[in-house]
Order: sequence, then C-alpha cells, then structure tokens
Amino acid sequence: MIEVDFLKSLGGFRLSANIRSTGQTLVLFGPSGSGKSTLLKCVAGLTRPDAGSITIRGDTVFDSSRGFNVPAQERHIGYVPQNYALFPHLTVEQNVGYGLAGLEGSVMSARVKEMLDLMRLSQLEKRKPAELSGGQQQRVAIARALAVRPRLLLLDEPFSVLDSAIRAKLCEDILEAQHRLGVGIVLVTHDIPEAYTFGECISVLDNGQVLQTGPREEVFNHPATRTVARFTGARNILSGRVLETGNGEVVIQAGKFTIKTREFPCRPGEEVECCIRPENVMFLRKDRPEGAPVRENQIDGWVVHEVNHGAFHTVYFAAGPAADGDYRDYDLEIALPAHAYENLGLEREKHWTVSLKKNSIHVIGRMGGLGEEAAGTRFDSRGAQPVIMPAE
Amino acid sequence: MNPETAVDQAREQRRGVPISPAWWLALCGGVLFLFILVPVVALVYRALEAVFAGAQVSQSAVLDALQLSLVTTFSSMVFIAALGTPLAYILARYSFPGKGIVDTVLDVPIVLPPAVAGLALLMAFGRQGVLGGALHAAGIDVAFTTVAVVMAQVFVAAPFYVKSAKTGFSTVNPELERVSYTLGVSRSSTFRRVTLPLALPALAGGAVMAWARALGEFGATIMFAGSLQGKTQTMPLAIYAGLESGLGPALVLSLILVVASFSVLLVFKILSGRTVGAV
Repeated sequence: MIEVDFLKSLGGFRLSANIRSTGQTLVLFGPSGSGKSTLLKCVAGLTRPDAGSITIRGDTVFDSSRGFNVPAQERHIGYVPQNYALFPHLTVEQNVGYGLAGLEGSVMSARVKEMLDLMRLSQLEKRKPAELSGGQQQRVAIARALAVRPRLLLLDEPFSVLDSAIRAKLCEDILEAQHRLGVGIVLVTHDIPEAYTFGECISVLDNGQVLQTGPREEVFNHPATRTVARFTGARNILSGRVLETGNGEVVIQAGKFTIKTREFPCRPGEEVECCIRPENVMFLRKDRPEGAPVRENQIDGWVVHEVNHGAFHTVYFAAGPAADGDYRDYDLEIALPAHAYENLGLEREKHWTVSLKKNSIHVIGRMGGLGEEAAGTRFDSRGAQPVIMPAE
Repeated sequence: MNPETAVDQAREQRRGVPISPAWWLALCGGVLFLFILVPVVALVYRALEAVFAGAQVSQSAVLDALQLSLVTTFSSMVFIAALGTPLAYILARYSFPGKGIVDTVLDVPIVLPPAVAGLALLMAFGRQGVLGGALHAAGIDVAFTTVAVVMAQVFVAAPFYVKSAKTGFSTVNPELERVSYTLGVSRSSTFRRVTLPLALPALAGGAVMAWARALGEFGATIMFAGSLQGKTQTMPLAIYAGLESGLGPALVLSLILVVASFSVLLVFKILSGRTVGAV
C-alpha cells in the first residue's frame, strides 16, 4: 500500500524511515517524539524529506534521486492532524465541502451529504466548529478529508483526547468508512489497543528509527528487539542463557526459571532475551485430574499483588515459596479475563502453578514470526536494522 | 471552600465586582480622566459655538484641506494595504536571517518624532537627497507635492498596519493552511479562503489605526511637503495655518478631526472585540 524509504533531519532530530506496508491499514506506533508525525507530514507532502523516496499504491510521489516531488495539492491524500484543524469561520457543511470547490454544485452537495451521513454528522451541518464536541470535530475533520476521495487517509493520534465511549464508536465508524470507500489508512498512535485494532500492519518507531514493521500478530507476538517488546506491552521480558538445545527445543536458564522454547539457531552458553505477553501466561486448574497432559514450563508460586480493571485483572506472580517481601518483587505479570478470575477462584486462593506455553515464549531477535512459508510478509530482519541510504 | 467556588470568585473579581474602590483611588483616576476629557469637550463646545455664530465653514481653505486629506489618506491606505499585507504575512509565517532587524526597522517610524521623519524623507527623496538627485535627473521631483504628502503618511502610518496584520496572520494556525493544501487547494486560494478571512479583523483594526495616524499627520508632512493650500495643506496643517487668520475655520476642522478620531476608536474597539476564534 505504501512504501517509504527516506531520511529527514529536523534540528538535532534525525528520522530514518524505512517501511513497506501491505494491507489496508498501517499503524505508526511509538512514544511521542519518535518521529511518527514527521513521517506522516512527509507522506502528505507537507514536509520534504532530505533524501529517499515515497511510493503510494505503486505511484511514486517523491524521489530525491530524480528530483521528483509531487506537491501536497496533487497527492490525493487526506490528512487529519492531531488538533483537527477545522476552519473555524466555516460551518460543518462548508468544512466538509471545502476541497470540492471544483465540482458542480449538485455533485458537491450530494458528496457532502454522503460524507455527513457516513460520519454521523447529519443535523449538525449549520454548526460552527466551536459549537461541536471534540468527537464531533474529529468526525468533521475525517469527513472533510474523505470528501475529496483520497487514496490514503492519514490520521495523527485521532483518539488521544477523546473519552473511551466516543473513542470506541469513532473507531468503528472509521473502519466502516475505510471498508466502504476502500481508502488506505495510516494511523499514528502510542496506544497499544488502538494500534492492534487498526494496524493490519504495524510499524514500531523509536527515536527516529523504524524498529520493526510487520503484520500485527507478528509485531505483538514476535518483537524483533527488546524495545519493541517493551512498547508493545510484552511486560515479561526475561534475560537468560542457553543451557542445551536439541529435540526441537531449546532450554534456557532465565533467573530462577528453567524454560523450554521452540527451537532456534543458537549455541549453549549464548545470552538471550525472551518475552511472554501477560495474557499468554496460563493458570493451571487445581481440580485437573492427574492424567491430564503435562503442561510446559510449570512454575510454582504465589499471587503477590493484583489490580482489578473490570473486564480483566492484572495479577502479579512471584515464583518459589511464599514471599513475604515487597509485592513489587514479582516475576511475572499476568492478565486474566474477569470470568477466568472468577472461575479459578483467584480471589480466595493465592498459591498457584502457572504454565508458560512453549509457543507463547518468544526469543527476541532470534525467532521469525510466521515460519518459512510466510517469508514474503516478514520485515523484521530488515526493520531491525534500518537501511541507511547513501547521502546525495 | 471547594475549588470550583474559588475559581468562580476569582473570575468574578476579574470581571469587576460592584464594590466601590477606595476614595483616593477614585480621586487620582478621576483627575487624569477629567484632564483628558475637559479639553476635548471645550474644543467641541467652542467649535459648535463658532459654527452657530456663522463661521465661514465653506471657506475655500477649509474645503481644500478636507478634500486633500481624504484623497491623500485614501491613497496612502491603498499603498499600505497592497504592500503591507504581503510583508506582514512573510513576517508572521517565515523566518529568515535578519528578520529581527526588519522588524525593528518597521517600528522606527512609530517612535521617531514626526519632524525627524519628515527630515529623513527629505534627505532621501528631496532635491538634495540621496535618491533625489537621480529622481530629479529623471524629471521626478516629489518634495513639496501631493505625492510627498502621501509618502509622509505611508512612512508614519504603515507600521501600525503591518504590526497589527502580522499579529493577525500569526494567530491563524498554519495547520489550517496545510490541511487546505492536502485538500487540493492552491496556495493563493488557501490564502483567500482561509488565512485572509481569519486574519481580517486584525487587518481591519490595523487599517483603521493606520488611517487615523495618516489623517493626523503633521510634522513629517510640513517638513517634506510644506503647507501649500490645495496641494499639500491637509487638515492638521490647515488648522495650524488658520490660527493666524482667525479661530473659526481651525475650530471647524478640529471638530471634524475629533469626530473622525472618535469614530475610528469605536470601530477599532468593535473589531478587536470580535476576533474570530482562530485557534
């Protein structure tokens, strides 16, 4: 859908963007100041990269080697900045129709009406932006961008200031609009659930570097670097050493745990880091019969602290005999849906055995995500070390 | 007291609670207020007296001055708006080396005594001036012509417009212009459809202040253009000249200027009170 490969220096900041995304939606994910918004501006044609190229749906819009730069006006890209940037002197209707000045009157008003319906803005046509709520303003900004039938819609932190109920509804409506109009979306966010919901493809940025690009399952379950693991909420990152390898598995000594993982190329004694997401740690039921299949990587220990989030519980688990130290001395963070928490009876019982499934443990930087057959959609090896282009 | 009531109270205090101030505060303030009010009222009173006593309002010097003032200030405003608007936009939107110097130079006419401004114009464009020689050779003599009146007015009044317009443009969020470009709208159309409407109150306010300054111009005009009736004698110059021939015409012209100044202030207050919500 979009291919960027460029450098941009801004003061002391250096953005080295190297992303090739497939699928209809790309999420640029990373902390503030990582260069996400700058990347978006470069794609929109509002900022000119120093060197490199940008290709949107097979159409090159910037190529420094040929001195080629399509101006923003001709890129056909919808751009919704973080503060919405609605024209304060125009009504909702006029804002949405702003980019349609070249169209015939009846075509224009039909298009405006279609967009207002799509973004659920009917009844608000005559209002000025100052008379709208934040969520409504965001809807107008999106309707205005979609009205000109762009190839790509760029959304910069679209939900950051909206409360969760409005956020969820708007999220659905944007995905619906995307589906109906067939427009590609590039969305900037630092919110993990948002990144997961929107990103068929996710690109993780930090400090001007692209750390990893790939399908969301791959980025979330198979982070290429420790930083990606941290950003994507892997939570449990363990440093260890390879003990032995063979029989399709690798045994790693990570602190007080001895864990088995799927096989990956390594030698005994090598230092490795592995991670497991909090939702992938399993509590073993106490009432299971003895004959049940033996779970992998069983760890005995105690729940030392827990936080109730309503829909799920975060449980902090310390391995070994009952710990009476600081509750912050935990070994694993575990996320449990509310019903599982209830069923297990975690409220009363704090002594448990958990299992780290072999397939849920990812060795950072060593394991590919999807195996050989899916090599075509893997970018982690490339993303981990961004290609630096020759200076021109 | 909960925080919300505290905020409410603070807001009320800012708005001015209806409690009478200390007597000595009122006394000091009142003295200065009266000091400004009394001369204005006195002038209006005497002028009206003169009008009813049948002062020769239609005296040719008065009419000539009135007409000349209107023509020259209108011309000045056309130049100021046409050349000052782009300058203000550049100063608001772009940074370039020497921008601080440009900004400061533009402020000079505001603080310069008008007589000095007139002398400066004479030194530049007068017959003995730095550029005047070349202009004279080309058959152009500006000093002591109506053109000189307009030049003096532009020199002293333009900074008022440029400063206000610059502030106006800088309150327009550049993101609005960027979004407009991505919607396929050209730079010039974006300026016309977004930037200009949003900056308009500031532009109009600046224009009104600049016009008032041009209308009252005296020092620079008398130095650079002289005081020739019908040619360079604008209303302030005519008032000064009229003092010799009798107070009547001077008072009438003054009355016109007072009314004009007052209306200008009123318009300015209305415009600045209605700043469009440019984020």
